[in-house]
Amino acid sequence: MNPFLTQCRASFEAQATLETEVAERGRRQAEWTRFEALGWPTTRLEDWKYTTLSGLEKLSLQNSVEFVEEVKGGLPSLTLKGIPAPRLVFVDGAFQPDQSMIDGLPKGVHLRFWSDLDAPEREQFVRKMAPARALTAFGALNGALFTEGVWITVDAGCALEAPLHLVKVSRTGQRMSHGAVLLELGENSELTLREHCEGSTDQPTHSNWATAIELAPRARLTLVKVQQEGLLSYHTAALHALQRAGSRLQIFSFALSGALGRNDLTLRLIEPHAECVLKGVYRVADRSLQDFHTSIEHDSPHCTSDECFKGVLEGTGKAVFNGRVRVALDAQKTSSRQSNHNLLLSDKAEVNTKPQLEIFADDVKCGHGTTVGQLDEEQWFYLRARGIAADLARTLLIQAFTLEIAEAIPHVGVREEVRRLLSGTVGESDHA
Amino acid sequence: MLSIRNLQASVGDKPILKGINLDVKAGEVHAIMGPNGSGKSTLSNVLAGRENATVTGGSVTYQGKDLLALAVEERAREGIFLAFQYPVEIPGVGNVYLLKAALNAQRKHRGLPELDAMDFLALVKDKMKLMEMNESMLYRAVNEGFSGGEKKRNEILQMVVLEPSLAILDETDSGLDIDALKVVSHGVNSLRSPDRAMILVTHYQRLLDYIKPDFVHVLSDGRIQRSGGPELALELEREGYAWVGDATNEGVVAP
Repeated sequence: MNPFLTQCRASFEAQATLETEVAERGRRQAEWTRFEALGWPTTRLEDWKYTTLSGLEKLSLQNSVEFVEEVKGGLPSLTLKGIPAPRLVFVDGAFQPDQSMIDGLPKGVHLRFWSDLDAPEREQFVRKMAPARALTAFGALNGALFTEGVWITVDAGCALEAPLHLVKVSRTGQRMSHGAVLLELGENSELTLREHCEGSTDQPTHSNWATAIELAPRARLTLVKVQQEGLLSYHTAALHALQRAGSRLQIFSFALSGALGRNDLTLRLIEPHAECVLKGVYRVADRSLQDFHTSIEHDSPHCTSDECFKGVLEGTGKAVFNGRVRVALDAQKTSSRQSNHNLLLSDKAEVNTKPQLEIFADDVKCGHGTTVGQLDEEQWFYLRARGIAADLARTLLIQAFTLEIAEAIPHVGVREEVRRLLSGTVGESDHA
Repeated sequence: MLSIRNLQASVGDKPILKGINLDVKAGEVHAIMGPNGSGKSTLSNVLAGRENATVTGGSVTYQGKDLLALAVEERAREGIFLAFQYPVEIPGVGNVYLLKAALNAQRKHRGLPELDAMDFLALVKDKMKLMEMNESMLYRAVNEGFSGGEKKRNEILQMVVLEPSLAILDETDSGLDIDALKVVSHGVNSLRSPDRAMILVTHYQRLLDYIKPDFVHVLSDGRIQRSGGPELALELEREGYAWVGDATNEGVVAP
């Protein structure tokens, strides 16, 4: 057993002794057993072929259940300036009521925390989280070790204009955090969720969250996630979404830093006229890897999916994109687009990209495209021929490549904010 | 302003320019005409600094400096402007951003203060009126989704904003209908001044009906074969390039 697993087992056992509820103890035991049965992901497994966890397995990280009093103590050093209300703040996996601002939420938006749920509610919560946790071994680990979760429900017809910010900070080194998010949107309701994954330590950390989403007919959810973690942070995340008739899910995922990131996303379109947009950017440089494994499942006719991921690879950076699209036999009139474009800026960088189309229906429009290339010399020359310095021209073109993804974010405030993140300080207000 | 001496350049292993000599003084407009493959575009590219052509001999002096020793962006900041034959689309970089960055790079180089957003916008909007362009184009990405005519207008817009000392227009008339050609020519003519020079590179005489050159040079097989006044362009229109040994034996009448 590697040091990581040894410590996970210790955490699991510590948690089991604290757990008073028999059913809950049983559910966690089942998840741990499942995690052990799946085995530690190695590159011998097809899903992990290009993503080695050799860095993570050497780490011995504590789960927040082992320092729960400490994380409740408040966080004077943490600055969350610039993240407006409404916001939910988690630090090292523990919810921070003092840092959060949720008073002004409309009546139709309900937040419940795992730690406040009664036994039947916990059973329900775990059942709804199950599809997300089923996606990977880390999902099972999340089920065994998670310490907090938030259950967000939006009532039918309720539209929340201001984005809800979900802030996850890895503050302390040598720690892991396992949290759960359950999002349920009622009929014709609307929400924008802005997820911040940040690190404020140079020490190793592991953030392992699971997110389960259910959209009722005509519900509209936009999820904008940005990972900006430390150089030694490990990030694994599993997301599962279930979409009913006419619902619209838009996910924008930006993996901008960290030692290793692995995002597994499965979106299921299970009733007619559901639409999903899945877009993302990964940026890797020396000693970093980002991996997106996505699966869009067209189970019903007349649904639309639009997927585009863009990667910028520098130094010895590595990236993996695996885009599965499955169109079931009776999912006629499906319209599906997928693309993955990569800028390979160094001889030592590496990208492994794999579109995986499984189409069983015959009356469908499905397209996909993949490119791996360098910066466009013509564009570079053009900018320099207008007097722009060679380095700045290069930076601008790299940013422009990724900005296209941000442009599609519907909420103007979030779009501007992400645009600024992608642009650094260059030309903040002038990009069109 | 510009002095080209025995300039030779190759693209790949193929010699394209085989000894160009040309002097351009402030206030002058020179037209360089020639058949396809004569080296016209290579000459514009070498002057602007594009790396795909390799200079194998000769010299270019611009305002007393060795032009060939300057980087592309330094040439631009020193006042050389190339209007591209095929302006490139740059999704994700705003037109307004490019204009402002270009203008301020030039001003900084000359020791002038950068323009603030208000002054800059006032200037640009004024120039857009001249080019009969819709202001909304400012907020689009550089040339993205622009028609051929819009791209050429956008080139000239950049030129009138940057007010170069030496403007090189590479086949600016190609792909323009007559109305767009008039607007573009109007923009170019507005910049004519005693302290500014222009080089018009063109296959056809048509552009020269709107922008009157002081000198016309005929380029063929990498050399200037003949030089003269505006009347030379008219002669070319009547007689074609056949007499200079154009292998394609192409006429110069616009299609």
